[in-house]
Amino acid sequence: MVFSSVLFLFRFLPIFMICYFVLPKRMKNFILFFGSLIFYAWGEPIYVLLMLFSTFVDYFNGRMIEKFRGKKAATGFLIASVIINLSVLCFFKYADFLVQTFRSVTGLSVPLMKLPLPIGISFYTFQTMSYTIDVYRGEAKVQKNLLDFGVFVTMFPQLIAGPIVKYVDVEESLHDRKVSLEAVSSGMQRFCIGMAKKVLLANNIGELWSRISAMDFGGISALTAWLGIVAFAFQIYFDFSGYSDMAIGLGEMMGFRFPENFNYPYISASVTEFWRRWHISLGSWFREYVYIPMGGNRKGLPRQLFNILIVWMLTGIWHGAGWNFLFWGLWFAFFLSMEKLFLGKVLQKAGRAVGIVYDTLVVLAGWVFFSLESPAQILGYFRAMFGNAGPVDDQGLFLGREYLFLLMAAVVAATPLAGRLVKKLKESQATPCRVVYCVGEKLIPMSLLLLSIAGIVDASYNPFLYFRF
Amino acid sequence: MKKGQINALITIVLISLIILILTVADFCTKDRLFSETENRMLAQKPEFTMERLFKGEYTGEYETYVTDQFVARDRWIAIKTGLDIVMQKKEIGGVYLGADGYLIEQHLPQEYTEEKIQKKLKLLNRLVTKYGAKVMLVPTADNILTDKLPAFSPYFDQKAFLERVKKEVGAGNYIDIYATLSEHSEEEIYYRTDHHWTTLGANYGYIAWAQAMGVEPYPYKDMTSVTDEFLGTLQSKINMPWKKDSITYFRETAQWPVTIIYDMEKEADTLYEEKYLSTKNKYAYFLDDNHALIEITTGNNTGKTLFVIKDSYANCFVPMLLPHYDKICVLDLRYYNGRLRWLMNQYGKPGEMDVLVLYNCIHFLDEFQYME
Repeated sequence: MVFSSVLFLFRFLPIFMICYFVLPKRMKNFILFFGSLIFYAWGEPIYVLLMLFSTFVDYFNGRMIEKFRGKKAATGFLIASVIINLSVLCFFKYADFLVQTFRSVTGLSVPLMKLPLPIGISFYTFQTMSYTIDVYRGEAKVQKNLLDFGVFVTMFPQLIAGPIVKYVDVEESLHDRKVSLEAVSSGMQRFCIGMAKKVLLANNIGELWSRISAMDFGGISALTAWLGIVAFAFQIYFDFSGYSDMAIGLGEMMGFRFPENFNYPYISASVTEFWRRWHISLGSWFREYVYIPMGGNRKGLPRQLFNILIVWMLTGIWHGAGWNFLFWGLWFAFFLSMEKLFLGKVLQKAGRAVGIVYDTLVVLAGWVFFSLESPAQILGYFRAMFGNAGPVDDQGLFLGREYLFLLMAAVVAATPLAGRLVKKLKESQATPCRVVYCVGEKLIPMSLLLLSIAGIVDASYNPFLYFRF
Repeated sequence: MKKGQINALITIVLISLIILILTVADFCTKDRLFSETENRMLAQKPEFTMERLFKGEYTGEYETYVTDQFVARDRWIAIKTGLDIVMQKKEIGGVYLGADGYLIEQHLPQEYTEEKIQKKLKLLNRLVTKYGAKVMLVPTADNILTDKLPAFSPYFDQKAFLERVKKEVGAGNYIDIYATLSEHSEEEIYYRTDHHWTTLGANYGYIAWAQAMGVEPYPYKDMTSVTDEFLGTLQSKINMPWKKDSITYFRETAQWPVTIIYDMEKEADTLYEEKYLSTKNKYAYFLDDNHALIEITTGNNTGKTLFVIKDSYANCFVPMLLPHYDKICVLDLRYYNGRLRWLMNQYGKPGEMDVLVLYNCIHFLDEFQYME
């Protein structure tokens, strides 16, 4: 089930929320767990068992690590947890990719498995791993209640597209969480805003990209090609950050505080900054469980560069089983290393504007690798961006005019301007400002919700990009 | 309660109300079988069995069902279209929002590949060589009403395409409609809300046809409106309230006695079926909507027969041909699966009758197809 659907908004959500708020406190985790299983099983009636298996295994591993604390066996159970999680992930996500690679290297015809990717597997395996690792390190207490642990893994708001919630983030709230009217209200507002980002911005601007990406790249002007990749950049950002907003909002309504996942990534003035603002929960996961254990920046520059290389290769391949994703990771590793070596200082001297232009170019080029699969397509697209088929054509002018206002709206929504304005209004003491704020904070989320419903009903076009991961 | 809490409560109540009211309303409205605006059957409640649930069939079908039957579905779609218009979009669902309230269907150049064009021309040429068929391919509104298109709109260039058709079939067999319609592009030759040409447009086509055939065109004058309530297929595509079109016909065409046999069974004595004027599909007024085969017998003594192979553009055109023939057979290949040669032989050998191929360029490229 996806949030931006009639089914979720007018079947699942009202029924679930009524049950959740009506039932007494001790029943809440049960209904959340049970509801989440239905939410997941709706689209994945078989793979829900895989998720339950993963839940149970790490519950057990956690208990065993605690039981044998200080002994060798504890390490054994930690390794078991990591191996099981990674094997499950590799088997379902990378098996065919590996087989394909093996085939093209050796020329042997090994059959592909053609398994569909279980939804959210990249997210929940990372979450359960964070748990066992933290229990082993003594940073999290072991969870003895299987139901509470089940809620942590399967909780529907962040189950299928993150943010990747670490166990320590929600440890407390799993068994004891308070909900205030303010939290529910702000959760609802956040949900509506996230919905609008996904339905009104991402889906509409995604149309532009899907039109351009379906064209023959040999015949599109530079204008068209740039429009296309900018559209993709906005689509993926609003799609993913909208989904995170909805997850965070839903969590807030129930008393959970999920970590923030995006912080206006497109205003970054360096690639280093971009990765501090983009998909933050994934970045901090890799930092905490891979980069720092490998020595981070504490073992000298060469080692640090090597660590960056490894982490961003993993980050790339996490996004999908394909060489283009690996290359996408390497592309960023290269610029991150350059920034560590000298570029960072140069950029600082050059000023923020130069930095933003540089970062935008690197990120947009990155999206070309990310969004197109074959090297021929990628190369063809870059050629078009460099004006291989002319700088401007009617096609590009038409599409540019057609999407101009939407693109302008996207640019504004991708910067902190609106957020700052709201904050100013909120803190202002002047009566007119207070009235505007008080009315606006109700009317705007409501209108966004209603317009999103119109968008959802209208669209047979409702693909959710992050399902692949 | 503190002020902040009251504020929060209002927000909670308002947003919950939106969800709850719509949920309840959705449960209370009856399921519809068919959507007229979308012109398709809507998904119905799927049958539940454990087996279908585990196969993953049930959940998907249920979701389609809920979305298709959602309360006030058409209104929501209109809201979305309205939002697109506010955002200055000029193309919605494959329809250009042209100047003067003209909705113009979009046909992108890349959809009509060289391969497709060659295939269709080859088929066409066989009819021309064998039967001496005359070819009349009508350009669509996007090529003629170019002044009304939004700036920089891409469209498949039918002028260049028609040049090729002319070369392929020979100038003697080609009837040029493009030039005629271009001359009259300021008049109401296409509907504003539908993809067809109007009776006026068809009349210009008729005059061009008569000139090419070397006959005197009948001077039709009495153009009469039969409805002012027509909202056509293009309006359905954008699903917004729009200024309605009129449908007209030439009264002279109804004064001659005719016998019509639809699909070899249904008989009629008029080319115009008024019953459609009270439905959505008002263009069906002409020739009783679409039939595989229509046989029209007139009381003239011309000794001539015409065999028309056509799409729906011909429906408002054919009545004007009445004075020129004793018999007119109208074939719509989309609804006929038999062999074309066999059928044509029923009406006359090659050379004994006139043959006319009448399509708009787009339908021709998309749908012209027959078994010899």
